[in-house]
Amino acid sequence: MSDSSDELPEAAVRRLDSGGFSSGLTVPDFAACLDLGLQPVGLVQGFCVMRWGWYGAGSGYMRGMNPYSYGSQPTGAYAETYRCPHGYVSAEHRMWGQNLEQTWVEEAWSDGYGSAYTRMLDEAKEAGAHGVIGVVDRVTNLADTGTTEFHFLGTAIKVEDGPPPAGGVPWTTYLAGQRLTKSIEAGFMPVAVVASMASVRVWAYCMTEYLMEGSRGWGGPTSPYEVEQVSKAHMAVRQLARKHVREQLSGDTLHGARVEVVKRELAQGDEVIDCTLRGNRMRRFKDFDVVPPPRPTVRLS
Amino acid sequence: MSGTAAIDARAEMLNGARSLATAASPSKARGVTSDLSIDEALLLHAAGWEPVDLVCGVAVVSVPVGVWTWGQGQISSASEAHNAAVKGASDQLKGECMKVHGHGVVGVRVEVEVRTHHIDVELIGTAVRPIDGGDHPASPFVSDLSARDFTLLKGAGWLPVGLAFGACFTYAPRRSAGDAMKQKTQNIELTNFTEAMYTARESAMERMQRSALDVGGQGVIGVKVTEGPMSFARHAVGFTAWGTAVRLVADAHQFVQPDVILPLDDVVVAFDAQSLRGE
Repeated sequence: MSDSSDELPEAAVRRLDSGGFSSGLTVPDFAACLDLGLQPVGLVQGFCVMRWGWYGAGSGYMRGMNPYSYGSQPTGAYAETYRCPHGYVSAEHRMWGQNLEQTWVEEAWSDGYGSAYTRMLDEAKEAGAHGVIGVVDRVTNLADTGTTEFHFLGTAIKVEDGPPPAGGVPWTTYLAGQRLTKSIEAGFMPVAVVASMASVRVWAYCMTEYLMEGSRGWGGPTSPYEVEQVSKAHMAVRQLARKHVREQLSGDTLHGARVEVVKRELAQGDEVIDCTLRGNRMRRFKDFDVVPPPRPTVRLS
Repeated sequence: MSGTAAIDARAEMLNGARSLATAASPSKARGVTSDLSIDEALLLHAAGWEPVDLVCGVAVVSVPVGVWTWGQGQISSASEAHNAAVKGASDQLKGECMKVHGHGVVGVRVEVEVRTHHIDVELIGTAVRPIDGGDHPASPFVSDLSARDFTLLKGAGWLPVGLAFGACFTYAPRRSAGDAMKQKTQNIELTNFTEAMYTARESAMERMQRSALDVGGQGVIGVKVTEGPMSFARHAVGFTAWGTAVRLVADAHQFVQPDVILPLDDVVVAFDAQSLRGE
């Protein structure tokens, strides 16, 4: 399926042209939406199912062939090498290890996420919407290994007497109801939902293997010891996710960020760490007016 | 939103929509990122503070081999590993906060995972600073209080100074074979476990309080505890405690005199589009 709105499913076009509206808003959110001068025009969705690549000789999932190269890493991607302090011990001894940013995984995730998002926007554009509020996105692994589904859902709206957004691309936000109203009152206009994913693969070297697997090995410490390679990989994956999101902000603000980290432990201290960061990109359209200091209250109910 | 004048939300919405009607010029300015809700951001502004950046700290510290096997007394290596992991993550968090010129970190989410061979600690929160700049502190504070609690605490004349942490792991001593046989048909207290829990609890609480004093705090608020046998070694029990160390910065505690209210409305249903999926 392409990103073009010409290829919206026929049923979706019929539904959006029917004249009635559908929405995912609760009653209070619907009321708040009308108070803001927003008219719901339809529940819009976007899907995309992606399959990751493969492990094996020549795959981008493999580490570099030696401690001095980083395999298929593009310039600027995160990579670090750790070298064994023992010298040659045996053929099984892990004489070097690497932390590698898996840019191909990040790109595949961005493609899937971006395609589902664009398809939701296509439906919104078809309905003549100015924005999409109350966006819910979900990324789930399907039964087949290495297959992931991206799903977007939201309520397309029109701003009464409002101009269309620049380029005809509707703005989007995870917010709806009172939270959206408060943001607008505070001078923050939603621009888009933004998300990024960073993935770092840890290829453990001997010391990391000993520490993570609990084997004494050669010169393994007998007191608590920071596992530097893994700690750095964890920090790097979070920093990369923030960097990727920051690249989408163009000086705007990210509100309500949510960070999710998933790690998959493999054998011998190896692991894959994925970090996803989502939030609302907001633009200030007026100077901030400080709210009066809140009055503390105690509820009797 | 000046004073208490009513805001015309519809007019503001139109202004907002107009601001997006023309394409923004590309900017290389560093945007603010935060995991605060809009309510928290507004409250923080009302208190004269603003969010700066999302910051995090992670440390993974190994637990020496064999420490979880049967033994007696405290498992000091595991406790040390835990404290080292917390300190490492906290130092990383402070480092990131200082890099973005924050004065402290609020709403810190604490995640601790105790595994057989390593202890992982992750801290993530939003760096904040006073809107008017102010003197940069020598060391930023770290607090797991929400922005709302931070505002309330500040209004009462107190400030958070750091995260106080304490952990202790200890062995539950073996019962003798005779005791085990005798107790098999009895309803009886397992004093070995009770005593182990007491030992772990007192040591962890003491360490937490000491860490609060070390960062210049007068006390700890919002203490959370986890306790129980380790999933991978049922004969060992662990107790961890953490909270925010606070210090009085005003001359005296400012009494917050709340208004008593009796709401007449029904419970507000918060927006929850997940319900569309039947979850």
